[in-house]
Amino acid sequence: MTTALADLPAMPALLPAALDVAGLSLSRGEVRLIADLDLALAPGDALLLTGPNGTGKTTLLRALAGFVRPDRGAVTHEGEPADTIGWLGHADGLKPNETLRQALRFWAGLHGTPRHAILPLLRLLAIDALIDRPAGHLSRGQQRRAALARVALTGRPLWLLDEPAGPLDGAGRERLADLVGWHRGRGGIVIAATHQVLDWPGAKTLALRAAA
Amino acid sequence: MSGLASVFAREARLAWSGGGGPAGPAAFFLAAITLAPLAIGPAPEVLAAAGPGLMGFAALLSVLQSAERLYGDDFADGTLDLYALTPMGLPLLCLAKTLGQGLATLWPLPAIALAGGLMYGVPVQASLMLAAALLAAIPALVLLAGFAGALAAGVRRSGLLIALIAAPLMVPVLIFAAGAGRSGFEGDERALANLGLTAALSLGAIALTPFGIAAAVRSRLG
Repeated sequence: MTTALADLPAMPALLPAALDVAGLSLSRGEVRLIADLDLALAPGDALLLTGPNGTGKTTLLRALAGFVRPDRGAVTHEGEPADTIGWLGHADGLKPNETLRQALRFWAGLHGTPRHAILPLLRLLAIDALIDRPAGHLSRGQQRRAALARVALTGRPLWLLDEPAGPLDGAGRERLADLVGWHRGRGGIVIAATHQVLDWPGAKTLALRAAA
Repeated sequence: MSGLASVFAREARLAWSGGGGPAGPAAFFLAAITLAPLAIGPAPEVLAAAGPGLMGFAALLSVLQSAERLYGDDFADGTLDLYALTPMGLPLLCLAKTLGQGLATLWPLPAIALAGGLMYGVPVQASLMLAAALLAAIPALVLLAGFAGALAAGVRRSGLLIALIAAPLMVPVLIFAAGAGRSGFEGDERALANLGLTAALSLGAIALTPFGIAAAVRSRLG
């Protein structure tokens, strides 16, 4: 695994990352999901959001990304959210008729990441042989891996991942752990909502509970 | 600027490969202008007089007919989340996306309108004026459809909502574009003025609607 990591090309350095959450309260409809949450993450940190369905993991991630306006409290990023966040939602953001090469070239170009970073990342995620397949012909797990490669290609310091390991098999979860380790090693931050047990060294866990 | 161009090119490519590209709106437009004479009746002078207005109207409907896919697909597959986090800013991106997809699907309309005008017995010069007016109207029509499409993204039966929102906004475009064709047919000098006003509406839409579309997208993501 470490050999695959060593093969990754030098990507442009990450912007400094830091996330500060103070007194955050979120609700969905009439239901208060999260009350007075405080959180501070520094470069290299990883945070796993766990908890049963409907406890607000996705809503919290969307609030951290700036999509959802909180009821109270504040999310402070180092820099603008639109310059710092690499987003992986529950949908992969792939187009069925677009090949991985077309899609990843587009996203890399949009974020100013050099194209030669694409293939090593796909190799790390073990989908390099699929690069000329349309996304619609891939399995769910392969699509998830492609979406993870897209997150890495944004070159953003703060990764927000919603169920990154959902459709992944055991080997896929190991590849994901490698990718996350690489990102944290560069000074990035990873926050992931998950139902799976993810063995990321030194990751903090925030267990969300059902609203009273 | 290269970011804008790549969004434009990608959206045009996706519209082309994903949903048959221009086939849908073109088929709808052709069907409308072929069926209308059966309802109106065969009198040549009536058809020639009704032709320009009818083409403008049918073009508006075919833009509306394809509007649901403009933002609905991107909402469903998570692409809108990613677009909202790009460095170029959402309004510019929405402009490039809407125009890219719109031009890739709607480019046959002016050509069909030209042929249709001749078929209805409209003189060549007036038919050309009508085709030019439709060409000038397409950016405004597709951007207004995009605004409605973004507001309705992810809503069930979004087609109905899009028609209710976009149709009233498209009224001025329809009046001026069809007016250019009609004035051309009647041979008065207001044709060029109508054409100019249609183009002005498109320029206005290019300047203003991206902010509305971006606001609509953000509200749908919340």
